[in-house]
Amino acid sequence: MRELDRIGVALNGVRKSYGALQVVHGIDLTIRDGDFVVFVGPSGCGKSTLLRMIAGLEEVTDGEIAIKGRDVTDLDPSERGIAMVFQSYALYPHMSVRDNLAFGLKMARTDRAEIERRVGQAAEILKIAHLLDRRPGQLSGGQRQRVAIGRAIVREPDVFLFDEPLSNLDAELRVSMRVEIARLHRELGNTMIYVTHDQTEAMTLADQIVILRDGRVEQTGTPRDVYENPLNTFVAGFIGSPRMNLLDAEWRGSGKVRLADSEIEACLDSLQAGERIVVGMRPEHIRIVASGPDAVKATVEFTEYLGGTRYVYCKLGDAQNVVVELREGDDIPSGSTVWLTAPSERRRYFGATGARVG
Amino acid sequence: MRTRSEIRARKATWDRLAYHGIGIGTAFFFLAPFVVTFLSSFRPNSESGTPPLPPWPRSGISFDAYRALDGFGSGIWQHMFNSLVVSIGTVLLTVAVSVLAGYGFSRYRFPFKNVLFVLVIATLMIPFQSILTPLFIILARLGLNNSLFGLMLVYVTLQLPFSVFMMRNAFDAVPKEIEEAARIDGARDLRLLVRVLLPLVMPGIATVSIFAFLNAWNEFFAALVLLSSNDNYTLPVLMTAVRAGRLGAINWGAVQAGVAVMVVPCLIVFLLLQRYYMRGLMAGAVK
Repeated sequence: MRELDRIGVALNGVRKSYGALQVVHGIDLTIRDGDFVVFVGPSGCGKSTLLRMIAGLEEVTDGEIAIKGRDVTDLDPSERGIAMVFQSYALYPHMSVRDNLAFGLKMARTDRAEIERRVGQAAEILKIAHLLDRRPGQLSGGQRQRVAIGRAIVREPDVFLFDEPLSNLDAELRVSMRVEIARLHRELGNTMIYVTHDQTEAMTLADQIVILRDGRVEQTGTPRDVYENPLNTFVAGFIGSPRMNLLDAEWRGSGKVRLADSEIEACLDSLQAGERIVVGMRPEHIRIVASGPDAVKATVEFTEYLGGTRYVYCKLGDAQNVVVELREGDDIPSGSTVWLTAPSERRRYFGATGARVG
Repeated sequence: MRTRSEIRARKATWDRLAYHGIGIGTAFFFLAPFVVTFLSSFRPNSESGTPPLPPWPRSGISFDAYRALDGFGSGIWQHMFNSLVVSIGTVLLTVAVSVLAGYGFSRYRFPFKNVLFVLVIATLMIPFQSILTPLFIILARLGLNNSLFGLMLVYVTLQLPFSVFMMRNAFDAVPKEIEEAARIDGARDLRLLVRVLLPLVMPGIATVSIFAFLNAWNEFFAALVLLSSNDNYTLPVLMTAVRAGRLGAINWGAVQAGVAVMVVPCLIVFLLLQRYYMRGLMAGAVK
C-alpha cells in the first residue's frame, strides 16, 4: 500500500497509432511521486506524443495511464491533476499576466480570495509580481516562459508536464531557466515530466531519464546510470557529447578483440569467436600512450581547441573515426601516429544487435 | 556656408511638409464627395436644381430635402428600420455561422473536408443574379417572399462563402497550443470558443461584419426582386423610387438627403470596426 502511494504516474502498455501508423509501441513506465523525469530522444521518437497522452491532449489508442493511483486514461485534461508548459508558451495574448495565471482557476470556479492568494504566491516564486498587469506581448521570452510556468503552478497540479520549454530561448537564458526549473522542483517537490531533445537539460535536471526511440523505451535510469551503463549502442551514442566512440570490432575468443589492425584485451566469454561486436569508448576515457599491448594504432587528423579541453580527431587503420578528449599534455601535430587505449573497466561492448554484452 | 545639421533640419522640414501635404491632399479627395452630399442636402427646395458647385446652401440651411424624402413610400424611418433589421440580422447570422464553420474547417478532421471547403469557396464564382430565380422560387415555397427575414437569409447565403473563408484563416492563425492550454485550464466547447478563441479572431469577425453589413445595406437587385410591398422596401430600393421622381422631374434635393442618410450607418460601422479590420487584412502578412 505504501509503495502504491509513492507512485506519481504509471503508464501501462500505452500505445498510440494514427490509422495504420503506430507511433508509440506499448510503453510501460512507473514514475515515483516527486521525481523529475526527463523523456529524451531524437525528433520523431514519440516523446512529445507520450507527454501529450499523459496530458490528455492526445487520445490513447490502447493501454492505461494512472496519476497518483487514479486511472485518468479517458478523463478530460483539466480533470487529471496536471499542468503543462508548452514550447511556444501558449499564453493568452488578449489577457493580462494576472488573468493568464487566474484563467484556469476561474474556469474551475475557485473563489476570488483563493485565486488572489495563489496568483500572488506563484508570482512571488517566479519573481513576476511586477509584471502582473502587462500583456504577454509586452514581455521578453524569458518572462513569458515564467508566466507559462506560473500558470502551471497556480493549478497546484500533481504532475507538471514540460514540452521542450526552453528551446525557444537563447543559450544564456536557457541555462538560467534550467537552473530555475531545478530550483522550482526542489521547492515544490511535485512530480515533473520534462520532454527535451537536449541531453544537457536531460542530464542536469533529471532524477530519471527515459530514453525513447521510435516509440519504444530504450532505457530508463538515473543520469549516471544511462551515461555509464548504456544498455545498447543507441543509448551509448545518444547520451554524451561528444558521443561515445562506437567502433566495429571482432571477438577473437580467449580474451582478445580485433579492432582495426590492433588487438585489445577483453573478457566476453559468452560470445563465439569470430562474432562481430562494437567497442564503446568515451572520448574522455581514451588516453594516448606509447605503443602497448592493449592499444589501438591511429592517425591524428586534426585537433579542436576549446580552451579547457581539446578534441583530437583520429582515424584507425580501417578508416573508423575516433574522437579523443585531452585535457592536458602537448599538442599533437596532424598526421602523426598515436596509440589509443582506455581503461578496461571503462570500455563497453555491444553485440551485433546493438545490445550490451560486456 | 551652412552647417550639416542645418541642411539636415531643412531636409526634415521639407520631408514633413511633403508627407503631410500628400496626406491632406488624399484625405481631401476622399472627403469631398461626402462633404458635397451633406452640404447640398441642406439646400432649400428652390436651390435643389442649381449646379452642384458650390455645394453649400446659399439662402440659409433648410430641411426641405429631408422632408421631401420622408414623403416617399412609408416614410424614411420605416425604410431605415427595414434596412437596419436586414443588415444587422445579416451580420449576426453571418458571424454566428461563419465562426462555427470556420472553426470546424480549421480544427477538425473529417472526410471530404477540403472538397467541401473548395465547394464553399467555388460558389463565389457564381454570379448571384443567375440564381435569383431559383432563390425566388425557394423563398416563395417557404412562404418567405416579400419578407425581410427571407431577404436576410438570401444575404447571409451570399455572404457566407467569403466569411467562412475569412474565419477559417483567422482560426488557422491561432496557435493550437493556446487552445490546448485552455483545455488543460478547463475551458471546453462554448466557453473555450467565447473566452479564449473569439478575442483572438476578433479581426476576422470585424472584417466579416463590415463586409456583411455594407453588402446587405447597399444591396439593391435582390431586394428589388424579392420585396414586393412598399412597406418592406429597404433604402436602396426606396432611393430608386426617389430618384425616379414624380412626373419625370427628379427631386435632386431628396436624392442628396437619401444618400446622406444611407451613408451615415456605413460610416459608423466602419469607424467602429476599422481598427480590427485593418489587422484582419494584415493577418499573416508578416510573422
